[in-house]
Amino acid sequence: MDDLNTEKTPMNKKKYIYLIALLPFLLVAFMYEIIPLITIIINSFRPDTGGAFTLENYEKIASKLLYQKAIYNSIKISMISAVAGIIIAFFGARAAHQATGKIHHIFMAILNMVSNFAGIPLAFAYMILLGNAGVMTQLGRTLGISAIADFNLYSTNGVSLIYVYFQIPLSTLLLIPAFEGVRKEWQEASTLLGASKTRFWTDVGIPVLMPSIMGTFSVLFANALAAYATVYAIMMNSISLLPIQIAGCFVGEVKIRKGLGGALSVVMMIIMVIMILITNAISSRFQKGGKKS
Amino acid sequence: MKKSEKGPVIVLVLILIYLLIPLVVSIIYSMFSNWTGIVPKGFTLKTYENLFKDKEFLASLGRTIVIAIIPIILTIVLVLLALFAATIYFPRLEKYVQIICMIPYTIQGVILSVSILSLYVGNPTFLSNRIVMLIGAYCIIILPYIYQGIRNGMRAVNMPVLLEAAEMLGASRIYAFFRVIVPNILSAIVVSSLLAVGIIFGDYVLVRNLASSAWPNVQIYLYQSMKSDSMKSSAVFVVIMAVTFAISAVVLYLRSRESRGRRAH
Repeated sequence: MDDLNTEKTPMNKKKYIYLIALLPFLLVAFMYEIIPLITIIINSFRPDTGGAFTLENYEKIASKLLYQKAIYNSIKISMISAVAGIIIAFFGARAAHQATGKIHHIFMAILNMVSNFAGIPLAFAYMILLGNAGVMTQLGRTLGISAIADFNLYSTNGVSLIYVYFQIPLSTLLLIPAFEGVRKEWQEASTLLGASKTRFWTDVGIPVLMPSIMGTFSVLFANALAAYATVYAIMMNSISLLPIQIAGCFVGEVKIRKGLGGALSVVMMIIMVIMILITNAISSRFQKGGKKS
Repeated sequence: MKKSEKGPVIVLVLILIYLLIPLVVSIIYSMFSNWTGIVPKGFTLKTYENLFKDKEFLASLGRTIVIAIIPIILTIVLVLLALFAATIYFPRLEKYVQIICMIPYTIQGVILSVSILSLYVGNPTFLSNRIVMLIGAYCIIILPYIYQGIRNGMRAVNMPVLLEAAEMLGASRIYAFFRVIVPNILSAIVVSSLLAVGIIFGDYVLVRNLASSAWPNVQIYLYQSMKSDSMKSSAVFVVIMAVTFAISAVVLYLRSRESRGRRAH
């Protein structure tokens, strides 16, 4: 034992010099990631007027209609856009997996490029397209299609529509690799046994893909929940959504409301974590089912 | 293989049309002075001409480039140093480095910006400087991409073997790491830096919440012109999207070249 120790010490001493290389990384990570996050959680339990531990910020969120609505709208828009995104992505990724040659390459290239199309530019493009004086809106008016002419972009539905747009490239890119796991032989076997194509996908394909679908779903949900620029450009502060309310507590106000903003941030993180837990639970059920059979 | 199926092709084309319509319409919009009927009228490139004469616009582009370069270089150096120490000397710490690098994936812009703001606003030192806060926030937001790029690059070059070989030839570990490993993973670093440029270029949340009027970048310029002049802002839009697409095209090209190169080995 003693021998081992004496042998170890000089080597360790030399080794620990290299901890210095870790220091700059840790410094920046603590200053701009870890301490800010801890601070915001601590702030959420402190009253804005100053004082000791309190739950009043959370009570305010639970009792005020404005914040209830923000939570409700955020979950609603995130759910709608994530469900729509995953459905379109399923067909898109399946088609991309089946297609070969030029169209496949073009599709992948455009998908990759459009996946960066979000935020203010996306909101702007939709205003040109479907805003009050938008190109499509006017087209709808001249052609007498009221569904397009009367579509209100500046509403929860309008925001959901734009969110669906930025979900599609992301979700399709995430799902395409998963289709490698659905083997061609399985489809051939099920066709031989007399199953239709739809039957194959509902009974074999989708259950096999379920873990990937659920994983992608939680990414999409989180993506929509935290999205800020797009909705801010369209609605300014006239919609009650969690990110808008959170930013509103810190920016553009005379007095910063650290406590309330912190509590709202914590609520948003909790919603994200709950969604991850739900999707994990669903996908693990499918994984177990697969192992048994 | 036997028959080329039409179904998938139709689905792909439909999705492509859906994805391209907002882009194409905005591009056409920027080049015609009058689009109230079905067909746009009055082709002109005057908007672009005026835009590139606009000092405010050029300044906002310049600000975007400056604020992208500093955090990217900083983050690359930090992650390289950290991974050098962690992978070679403290393998047990590697897991924690990874966790720290992946957290920003889940917290995203809004929460990150307000938590940095609430910590440093009113701080008596330089830390309350808006630009300093913004640089710090950008370092964190691009951390996952830089980390993954460098880490994947290290795996691809089989670092332990390369290090051992360099050591047998008499090189120190530091020398081996920075003169043998780093040049070999340079293309991975380039790809992840380009992704990071794309992220910072497309950012609005962080710059609005942290710096806003102190550092009006090109996204803020677009947001402000949107309210007054839709022709001008559609030209700004086209410039932003052209840069964004150019970046992702280069990334795509570098990646395909790399995977082809690897298959050839």
